[in-house]
Amino acid sequence: MGNDAGAPPGDVHDDGFSERLRRRLLPDGDDPDPRLTLANERTFLAWTRTALALVGGGLAVDAFTGEVWSATERKIVAVLLIAAGVVCSAGSFYHWLLVERAMRNRRAIPLPLMLPLLTVACVAGTLFVLILFVNGLR
Amino acid sequence: MSGSSPSPSADPRDQPERTSLAWTRTLTGMLAASLLLIRWLTTAGVVVLPLLLLTISSAFGILATQRTRLRRDWRGLARRSVPAEVGSVVLLTATVLALGLGGVGIILTQ
Repeated sequence: MGNDAGAPPGDVHDDGFSERLRRRLLPDGDDPDPRLTLANERTFLAWTRTALALVGGGLAVDAFTGEVWSATERKIVAVLLIAAGVVCSAGSFYHWLLVERAMRNRRAIPLPLMLPLLTVACVAGTLFVLILFVNGLR
Repeated sequence: MSGSSPSPSADPRDQPERTSLAWTRTLTGMLAASLLLIRWLTTAGVVVLPLLLLTISSAFGILATQRTRLRRDWRGLARRSVPAEVGSVVLLTATVLALGLGGVGIILTQ
């Protein structure tokens, strides 16, 4: 497993800001198997798409459900969805960083904390929307 | 299981392409989500316009480096060392957070 010491001049290893950021966030250890680095990146991207779905869903709720819910109900649902998306996005970055550091130092890969959190948020959100619908039918 | 051929997903050569496609899917999703902000363009243009500019420029900025990254990853596979994509990961996270927090701000002030 190589590290930066052997990178030829002009290669992507010395591309300025990105490389300084990399040294700051991943200061020690060696690059792991490239397949693991790329798999970790794809996992981060999958979580980010989940976050974007929540953020986009929240924006869509407030934009297009004016005839279904009152302004207060609409705002609550929209803000909760977007807040879940923000937490999901920040969590996906944090988890990506933890996994990258663990792999570079040959430590065990940490479990994703967001999985149970997101499950609880989805169940709570579904129940909340269900209550709004039931109240609307009365 | 000796003698059986490895599964296609075990082939390391397709990893850079799969990762590149994952970036493209994510950036497309981010552009789609940010376009919803157009709904508030007339009422909260001061916040919406900078947010739209940020998301669109971030998405196209990262997309513009895709080809370079793909070539770097292929070279890295041969060398058995691919550096973590810290810059793009940080930029994408910051943009999604800005989109989310800006969206909350717009919704609460309308």
